[in-house]
Amino acid sequence: MSETRMRHAEVAIIGAGPAGMAAASRLAEAGERPVVFDLAQSPGGQIYRQLAAPQVGEAVMGADYLRGQALLTRFAHSRIDYRPGSRVWWAQREGQGTTLGVLASGKGELWQVRQLVVAGGAMERGWPFPGWQLPGVMQAGAGQILLKQGALVPEAPPVLVGTGPLLYLLAWQYLRAGCPPRLVLDAAPRSRYSALLRQPLGTWHARHYLLKGLRMLVALRRAGVTVKQGFDALEAEGEGHLEAVSYRLAGRWQRVETPLLLTHFGVVPEPQLGRGLGLGFAWHAGQQAFVPERDVDSLAAGPGLWLAGDGAGIGGAINAEREGHLAGLSILEAQGERVGEERASLRCARARDLDARKLLDALFRVPEGWLAAQPEKTLVCRCESVSLGEINAAMGQGAAGPGQLKAFTRCGMGPCQGRLCGESVSRLLASHQGASMNTVGYYRVRPPLHSITLGELAASPAPPSS
Amino acid sequence: MPQDFLIIGGGVVGMAAAYGLARRGRRVTVLDGHDGSLRASRGNAGLVWVQGKGSGMPRYAELSLHSSETWPEFAEELTARTGIDLEYERRGGVDLCFDAEQAEALQAEYRALYASMPTLGAVRWSYLDREALLEHLPGLGERVHGGTWSPHDGHCNPLSLLRALYAACQALGVDYRPATPASEIEATGAGFTVRTPGGTFTSERLILAAGLGGRQLAPALGLSGRVRPVRGQVLVTERLPQGGRLPSPQIRQTASGGYLIGDVLEEVGDDTGVTLETIHQLGERAVQIYPDLARARLVRTWGALRVMTPDGNPVYEASRRFPGAYNLSCHSGITLAAFHAEELAAAIDNDRLETAYGDFSGARFDVQATG
Amino acid sequence: MFKQLDSAASTGEVTIWLEGHSHRVPNTFSVAAALLWLEGAAGYRRHVDGSNRAPLCMMGVCHECLITVDGEPNRQGCLVPVAEGMRIERQWRAL
Repeated sequence: MSETRMRHAEVAIIGAGPAGMAAASRLAEAGERPVVFDLAQSPGGQIYRQLAAPQVGEAVMGADYLRGQALLTRFAHSRIDYRPGSRVWWAQREGQGTTLGVLASGKGELWQVRQLVVAGGAMERGWPFPGWQLPGVMQAGAGQILLKQGALVPEAPPVLVGTGPLLYLLAWQYLRAGCPPRLVLDAAPRSRYSALLRQPLGTWHARHYLLKGLRMLVALRRAGVTVKQGFDALEAEGEGHLEAVSYRLAGRWQRVETPLLLTHFGVVPEPQLGRGLGLGFAWHAGQQAFVPERDVDSLAAGPGLWLAGDGAGIGGAINAEREGHLAGLSILEAQGERVGEERASLRCARARDLDARKLLDALFRVPEGWLAAQPEKTLVCRCESVSLGEINAAMGQGAAGPGQLKAFTRCGMGPCQGRLCGESVSRLLASHQGASMNTVGYYRVRPPLHSITLGELAASPAPPSS
Repeated sequence: MPQDFLIIGGGVVGMAAAYGLARRGRRVTVLDGHDGSLRASRGNAGLVWVQGKGSGMPRYAELSLHSSETWPEFAEELTARTGIDLEYERRGGVDLCFDAEQAEALQAEYRALYASMPTLGAVRWSYLDREALLEHLPGLGERVHGGTWSPHDGHCNPLSLLRALYAACQALGVDYRPATPASEIEATGAGFTVRTPGGTFTSERLILAAGLGGRQLAPALGLSGRVRPVRGQVLVTERLPQGGRLPSPQIRQTASGGYLIGDVLEEVGDDTGVTLETIHQLGERAVQIYPDLARARLVRTWGALRVMTPDGNPVYEASRRFPGAYNLSCHSGITLAAFHAEELAAAIDNDRLETAYGDFSGARFDVQATG
Repeated sequence: MFKQLDSAASTGEVTIWLEGHSHRVPNTFSVAAALLWLEGAAGYRRHVDGSNRAPLCMMGVCHECLITVDGEPNRQGCLVPVAEGMRIERQWRAL
């Protein structure tokens, strides 16, 4: 028997990465007691995962990871109602606030929230290539999570492939851990770095990031790690699990045997919560990702709704912390507090940082035409095993939008509900039709935002009848 | 040379008509709305259903029975033409009842319905209590009273059906235009001209199969635009091993293994959202029906709008004011697909819609409608 | 496939049961991490289409880490921390 028991929160935050933690801490400082719903079991998000009890030290990780400890400590000592292991499976705007359906430890809860900060973070792009579904192919972020969670490193020197800062960061961390990668393949051609010269202001703002990257590259080269740039095709091979990786460089295919391939093709905002809430999303050409619409200054996406951190646009950990802080200030301002001065300096720093981001975005662009050029056997939707060939056939038969394509092929209907294939499907439609990503759109995201069992649903509190 | 037919609407009704006409050698263009439009064809449960249809209009019951009889052949031909499996099965179906009162009411309704016309004597059905249902619905929960079983009922994958119709139409030379909604329709002396953002199209005759879009387009053509949206909400589970259970309107397992749980009727205007209240109720009911589904993971919910005519029965009509313009509205586009692709298409082609299916004209709603 | 660094911080351990065999694993591990450490990626899971799959993202997005924990099927192994006495069974049956 389920009972109606609606819980109330004046302020709630979804996510406990840097954005969520910063928002919560600032609000707690002002006397609020924010409720923080975290999918993970402990705060930190992905970037500061396990940082409360780090398993690896600065000698391996570098300084940036440890830098998060101040924020974690502040969060831990603030008056915050922190709820780990919480699956926010339902989120709906209701008048002035938001109703949340939350599952924690197998028990359902219903929450009415007046001010909600959405800080759900980013995810790595699903980037299809032949064989990417083989056991032994993982994303670079997964490698980092294993490193942070358990000081786990590959037993045999791995192959790292893709483009983006995380690729080099992980390679460098493995090197410092004593297991240098076998090979690092960067999709960015050398000529990309001339972008540096074309954006002197961006270069100046990004100098810290760039110097860091340069140091990593130098360290890798000194250690004899093979770094090759400008590959334009990739294939993972093996029977039932990864055995080798083939890649094409300057027109020539080469092959390397390896049981582990770590890929990275950038990070994008994780879409389910924002789209589930009905927020508008627009294609950001610079970030090459769909980004939710929000007020640039206040970070508001609607009355009582605020978006902060990488979930609202990729800006990195420091920027996420700032945005969480800014979202907190916006809420306090809505309650009559004066926040002008505090906000001004944050905004200034943020603007500079976002300028720097533009340069990084340009340096690490993912190759736009990649997917349409893959072999037809390439799986686009891993969950439902839908290949590029099937999608091409369905588009040829008249499926002219993501919804129809989903209906015709089942792509996007599996457990991940389009997280890994959504962007790919939109790209294929855009390419096929010669249309923009904004015209093509994206799947319609529906609840549950995380799966729950029918038993858990039935046992959840029944909502009050309207 | 203008097309023989312009069809407004690329859902299961429009495409079945297009398929039927193209098979008969007609030149057809389909003008379809956007991917994000209200698309009832993507929001139905996939039942190919006979029992219970046509209370108050026995002719519709007869039509449903006939369409269900011709569905196997229809499916076979579509699959032969396109290689697409419609996942069609006709092993019977059960409409579930949860208490004695509901059971009595349903049986009374069926008795009256199937006695109302001689041909309906051919419809086989019986009320089975829970014990008797266990053979058809293994694992049926104890809180189910029973249900009306009928061997005529079946199900398919409605999305595969739609896809197969698209593929078959394409192979037959149907000109399909997505994202090309009709903004203006003009009856010229020689035929019809349709203006769209994607250009102007002309044809000798025109069929409206625009679902809820018919509300705007039909009246100007002297056709009945009286359809209203009725929302259904559905739960979709993860893929599970086949449970060998017959389909029900309340719940059915698809060929790929997920359970669809629904059968809700809500009057909420054009809102395709889901509500916590309803999906909670559906979750409770699912677990009542098959308790083993308590462990099944809900992966998706959706809301979709049925195209509901004032009496719930189909509208097939020919315009008197503008001969050559036709209107097709129904909420059972899946069950009736076989009929739409065959007899209905033939009747339209021969301009015998009024003669053959006059009972279904929209005039039955409007006392003033004369033509 | 993965090994722990010698320099790993010392942390508590728990006993988990994987397919009926007991193992001691560090208590900071997720179920998915424990499996990758103990047995590698090959053989993690059989997908609905019959192919072999293993975790891709380790952060709750890809849903490749699905595994049965304490009798409950299709748990995301990367989101479940190991716990004392936990029983883990692979999902090795295609539909």
